[in-house]
Amino acid sequence: MKRTALVSLLALAPAFVSAAPAPAADKIVFGAAVSLTGKTAKEGEYTRDGYNFFVDKINEMGGITVGGKKYKVEVKYYDDESKSERTAQLIEKLINEDKVTFILGPYGSAPSGTAAPICEKYKIPMIEANGSAESIFNKGYKYTFAVLSPAKLYLKGVIDLVLTKDKNVKTVAVLGENEPFSKEVASGAADYAKEKGLTVVYQELYPTGTQDVSALLTNIKAKNADVVLGAGHLQDSLLIVKQAKDLGVTPKAMGFSVGPSSPEFRENLKGNADYVFGATQWTEALKYNGDDPWKTPKAYGDAFRAKYPKYSVIPYQVAESSAAVIAFWRAIEKANSLDPTRVRDAIAALDIMTFYGPIKFDSRGINIYKPMAVEQLHPDGKKYTVFPASVAERDALYPMVPWDRRK
Amino acid sequence: MSLGELGQIFVNAVLLSGILALVALGFSLVWGIMNIVNLAHGAFIVLGAYVTFFLHELLHVDPFLSIPASMLVLFTLGWGIQRGLINQIIKAPLLATFLLTFGLELLIVNLINFFFKADLRSVTTPYSGTGFTLGSVRIPYIRLGALGVSLFLVAALAWYLKSTRTGRAIRATGMDLDAARLTGVKVAAVYASTFAIGAGMAGAAGSLLSMIVPFDPNLGGTYTQRAFAICVLGGLGNVANVVIGASIYAFVDVFVGARLPSLSRAVTFALLVLLLVLRPQGIAGKSA
Repeated sequence: MKRTALVSLLALAPAFVSAAPAPAADKIVFGAAVSLTGKTAKEGEYTRDGYNFFVDKINEMGGITVGGKKYKVEVKYYDDESKSERTAQLIEKLINEDKVTFILGPYGSAPSGTAAPICEKYKIPMIEANGSAESIFNKGYKYTFAVLSPAKLYLKGVIDLVLTKDKNVKTVAVLGENEPFSKEVASGAADYAKEKGLTVVYQELYPTGTQDVSALLTNIKAKNADVVLGAGHLQDSLLIVKQAKDLGVTPKAMGFSVGPSSPEFRENLKGNADYVFGATQWTEALKYNGDDPWKTPKAYGDAFRAKYPKYSVIPYQVAESSAAVIAFWRAIEKANSLDPTRVRDAIAALDIMTFYGPIKFDSRGINIYKPMAVEQLHPDGKKYTVFPASVAERDALYPMVPWDRRK
Repeated sequence: MSLGELGQIFVNAVLLSGILALVALGFSLVWGIMNIVNLAHGAFIVLGAYVTFFLHELLHVDPFLSIPASMLVLFTLGWGIQRGLINQIIKAPLLATFLLTFGLELLIVNLINFFFKADLRSVTTPYSGTGFTLGSVRIPYIRLGALGVSLFLVAALAWYLKSTRTGRAIRATGMDLDAARLTGVKVAAVYASTFAIGAGMAGAAGSLLSMIVPFDPNLGGTYTQRAFAICVLGGLGNVANVVIGASIYAFVDVFVGARLPSLSRAVTFALLVLLLVLRPQGIAGKSA
């Protein structure tokens, strides 16, 4: 991973050099501090590739039109080394020294949270694609926008899906990791379940890095929950499925905020992964028809793969990041101005459909209008997008076949 | 809490005690005999997990059958590390041993990261997750098997230390280094065996864990921490103490986790601090 990060840095070097002189007047320069090394180097790379892919497309199409003039687009990148305090410094540098007037967000909730107050201070709009914790948006910032669905909506789709499948579902158990993002996911899921008339029979958090959830699952089994929802990270989701089988916990449905969308989920669990639901921001199988150069997720995926052949599956981080550039593109053209405040107002008023789904922001700047999709692992070894029904690829399999009745 | 649930929680705690005893066994031995807190212990465990994982993935060896292999690999590695590295600083202050084993941990973890990538892995067999039911209590075969293997290795080590010549030499060295040397014990060889056995036990623990939890190169740290806590809770110097420490740890973890999971770790470590205040000899129980 280190080496790929280094290579990508080297690949970026010419971009730094060419961007060193003050930006020319016929160019719009976006600033971005993305994690190209450190813990989230891989996701940072997805983010950068997503940004670059759409920026290149804009340039291919001639640029962004403002006042009848076409402007080419460029992104000035820095590496925040996966450290959120570094992100804040670099955003400050981008605004003060490099004089950028538009910011594309970093990777992750924590760095997005440290970048937001800087953008607010200088009244420079930031559209971020990879930070979904609502804590970023409850501080009244006016210049930060997120194209992705917020954390509390992550498991809403799974609950909606189960309710359309089964009118007799009554009880839900929610277990989550004790850290900011997962806590929001867990409480959002529990609140939504209650709102829908379900009884939340179990709601607890476990410590980060837990190695045993048998105590929680034993309790859930005793409560006989119809639906078990997990809000943690990949390792937790794997552990919960493993131990659920160990202990014979057999709900009608199991869903996770993070985990099932990763190929490692199936590799680790083999057949035990079947029937599990996973939340995802975006998949190539969704059937959106957007007003952008690609229109559909599939066309976007094919075009992206043609340009970046190392991707066999397109991670949703890539699509989100392209969507952030789309939002800027449409807002700048609509504002018909390069003035940051006017562009900010145009972003706030945006209401468009894209290959990534609807982009529209609530008063806090979050795209609550885009639903989370739900994927399900099927016994044929594949993963299908099963929700929302209008854009789904396959019908969801429900209920989950009990462990002892599987082959 | 119903009786059935209580029974299940009790069984969960017993099953966890077994595996944790094996996790801490080698750590306790090395600490007790050589006075080295081996911070690389968790990394040894992870290596053991990878041995089992690759034997299962590439050669389809049953994970339980690969335990001797991972013990042998880790035993050899432990021997080499002791002769080549640890021996150099055996008389140095405690801080130097901390630094060395900490550096070793970083080195091993980064090498695993480099060669095997940071992906999460598990060993999943056709019998993974299957088990039998006793009343309303469910007992998974793998966990039961892991308990059996752990108890066997604990007993085997206890027997070895008590009844064999090398075992007695190891204990003698731990009790009084100079006296042992005077009676003709080859201390360097004894230390190498001790460290190698410790690493071998870590390998076995890793093999078992690979079936129970998803692991990646960074998993080791948390198990070093656990091993440390168990040794403090139980006290050093005796194989039985490890079992006691592991049981206390597992029962607190599981019973607190059953009602207040977000506090389970905090309570376990609070207990540890409390013990240090009230019974500091728990740590220095070497000659007890």
